[in-house]
Amino acid sequence: MEIRKFVFKRLIEIFVIFFVILTVLFLLFRLAPGDPVTRMVDPTMTPEDAAHLIAQLGLDQPIWLQYIYYLKNFFTGNFGISFHYGVAVLSIILNRLPNTILLFSTSIVLSAFAGIFLGKIASWHKGKKIDTWMTLGALICHTLFLPWLALIMIWIFGFHVGWFPLNGMITPEIWLDSSSGFWLKFLDIAHHMVLPLATLFLIHFGSYLLLMRSSMLDTLKEDYILTARAKGLTEKVIRNHHAAPNAALPVVTSVGISLAFSLSGGALTETVFSWPGIGRELVFAVSNSDYPLAQASFLLIATVVLISNLVVDVLYAYLDPRIKY
Amino acid sequence: MKRKLLLFSQIFIILLLLLSCGKQQDHRFLKIGLHEEPKTLNIWLASDANSKKILSLIYQPLYLRDPETLNLIPWLADGEPKYHPDTISYTVRLKPAKWSDGSDVTSKDVAFTAAIIKEFRVPRYYSSWKFIKKIETPDNHTVRFYLEKPKAIFLTRTLTSSIVSTKEWSDIAQAARTKQKPLIALINHKIEKPMGCGPFVIKKWHRGTYVHLQKNRYFFGLGQDIGGRILGPYVNDLLFKVYGTADVAVLALKKGSIDMFLWGIQPGYIDDLKRQKNIRIFYSKKSAVYFMGFNLRSLPFSDVSLRRAIAVLIDKEFIISRILQNYGTRMDSIVPPGNKYWFCSDVPRYGEGMNRNDRIKTAYHILQKAGYTWETPPVDGSGRVVPGKGIRLPNGQLMEKFTILTPPADYDPLRAMSGMMIQEWLRAFGMPALSRPMAFGALLTQIKGRHEFDAFILGYGRLSMDPDYLRNFFLSANDKERGWNISGYKNPEFDHLAEKSTSEMNRELRKKLIFKMQKIIMRDVPYIPIYDPALIEAVRKDTFTDWVETLDGIGNLWSFCLVKPNPDKTGQKNF
Repeated sequence: MEIRKFVFKRLIEIFVIFFVILTVLFLLFRLAPGDPVTRMVDPTMTPEDAAHLIAQLGLDQPIWLQYIYYLKNFFTGNFGISFHYGVAVLSIILNRLPNTILLFSTSIVLSAFAGIFLGKIASWHKGKKIDTWMTLGALICHTLFLPWLALIMIWIFGFHVGWFPLNGMITPEIWLDSSSGFWLKFLDIAHHMVLPLATLFLIHFGSYLLLMRSSMLDTLKEDYILTARAKGLTEKVIRNHHAAPNAALPVVTSVGISLAFSLSGGALTETVFSWPGIGRELVFAVSNSDYPLAQASFLLIATVVLISNLVVDVLYAYLDPRIKY
Repeated sequence: MKRKLLLFSQIFIILLLLLSCGKQQDHRFLKIGLHEEPKTLNIWLASDANSKKILSLIYQPLYLRDPETLNLIPWLADGEPKYHPDTISYTVRLKPAKWSDGSDVTSKDVAFTAAIIKEFRVPRYYSSWKFIKKIETPDNHTVRFYLEKPKAIFLTRTLTSSIVSTKEWSDIAQAARTKQKPLIALINHKIEKPMGCGPFVIKKWHRGTYVHLQKNRYFFGLGQDIGGRILGPYVNDLLFKVYGTADVAVLALKKGSIDMFLWGIQPGYIDDLKRQKNIRIFYSKKSAVYFMGFNLRSLPFSDVSLRRAIAVLIDKEFIISRILQNYGTRMDSIVPPGNKYWFCSDVPRYGEGMNRNDRIKTAYHILQKAGYTWETPPVDGSGRVVPGKGIRLPNGQLMEKFTILTPPADYDPLRAMSGMMIQEWLRAFGMPALSRPMAFGALLTQIKGRHEFDAFILGYGRLSMDPDYLRNFFLSANDKERGWNISGYKNPEFDHLAEKSTSEMNRELRKKLIFKMQKIIMRDVPYIPIYDPALIEAVRKDTFTDWVETLDGIGNLWSFCLVKPNPDKTGQKNF
């Protein structure tokens, strides 16, 4: 199949899946126990006040009517107003999303590079000490409990050694000082990123290493590697130019999907490091039945995951000429 | 290329480390850690604790509670309110005060506040203002409130509501009126810099990271003696920073990154904090009640004997000493003991001072007398306590398994663990109890919305100082969907007293009514009050001093008006 036809077919599929997600999300939040008003009341609020608020929020309407409004609003680009923040959902997402992308995408890219590089070395030295230690290290790091590791990092490097800030994304005192220039602010963010980045890196690089190692071991058994050796190419060239690019294909898929999912952030990482990202907001929105915020956030993630799947598929064909659509 | 990259990385790391070495503690700011970011600066939307705390430094009420006596004292008002029984009206004089833009606070602003609350039916405020018939403003500093009928909460709740500026809100209200959903338009209006007349003004809110407040040079209390205290503020800048976990906030406090953590600290941190020479810990009582409630609409909990027996079986001392680690107070009434004026101590104190065997024997006698039987009674023929089994109701029916709903441990470990302990005590008595943690939102919907429950453990962490909630919680008319009478308690005698208490304007007479109501509730025990947890807060004592302790802790308006830099270090600070 021609690539254009393939993309067109996939786009139609994506649209259908997206519509299903849109509907499932709507139903899930409405069917889940709890409602947005329950958490907003206190003993000074009468049932009549609560009923008035519900009516004003439009939650007294029949569910089918709410669904029609929901679809209409969505397709006109209106994601609604957060019940809790009282501001447009889009502005909350746009405020938090760049922070999440910055931290999580950087960590995924760094982990992937390190994982590919170290996985390549580990597989090349299969059965030797270096392979054993790397595999063991990767397994240990991958299985660490993230909040525990994060707190240990904060305790050692933030509190005891004092090299890095304990949490947050910026130092307010620096940002409030009018004499602080761009580079100081840039360094301040970088400084705050070190600990969360290191934590995420330690947790994630292991999976890429193990994936790369296993893929590389399969690739090394291929005939074209034998041919390369027969041609008298150096081991380094065979490893880096013949085996590694082919072996990296599953890692590319994994990175693509991880990058898409990184938009959802990591509620645990963001909570422990007080990183102002979308992950915490998402958890908060779900637990407080903030339907507009939760729906829009999940839809955003779903959209990016669907599109990134398509991109990865297309990229696959580009990276591996054997693949035809 | 590789070498250049390596060099660049090295320079970058050195710069980052230099940044950490070069940063000094900036003592110009009083830095406060928050557990969560405030949700909004719109006073009508703010329902979370952090938004309310910050807005309480900006918008001010006419009267405020004295931190020691808890009596209302004039704040924005000048003198006590004057009551005119013939017209059921109150006259309040205002102090000369200015809004943060320099314009005058006038009686028109008070009338405007009332009008906006009533017109839009603003949740959480409306119930405190809806009985105001009209407001007259004979001059710029006099407000006369006419009430539809005498209403006790006028003094304690209406006059303690924050006043907003006409200038700030009139255009917003006008725009909201034209919308299809005026209330939503009003509460969702984005407020960046609220205009108040309090000690501080918002300088900047960097969403997700910090809120910066600066001293309001127009604050009416500045340098004034109010309630026997000469008010500041004595600090120029407040910086609220968000700490997602208490672990990191405590480290920040120890490191000096913050001067105070504006959230209760778990008892587990106390030993560590006590070892820090620069940290002071405050232990305050809370205006809170944590209790076990029952569904009185059907058997078995419609039977008062069963509820009393359970009240005896619950070992409150055990819960306080083992679960709360002694940081809490036993409760025997719905009104917390810290609310000294309204708290009635002359109520039945179920199981107080009893050991386990005594509890079981007492509960057994209560139920035996009421006609309950067992397959294996918890007290055998020789008076020995044994594991009970197969309890039957007075009508001969076997008691069915019942559930005690609690919030989950990650939301509140104290309530979840209390539920488990109660389950065990009841099972040992032969009652088929099951403690079941449930997501908090779902729990509220289940018990408050649908009334589908047997028993539950809940709490109110921030009860109003006015005990009108007693009426709300147990009035027969409030037994409806979303009503506050969750248990479905119905007692005409209580209803009569409750209605009378709302219109009793004489404080002493009202106190008598409230005491009677407490006694009735503790006699009928629709709720079993269990504990009032202590509020543990920590501050750095090397940087700021003079925090004001009161019910509900040191994070109050008085503290922020009076807290001062530690004089031992003022030489190096710029205030």
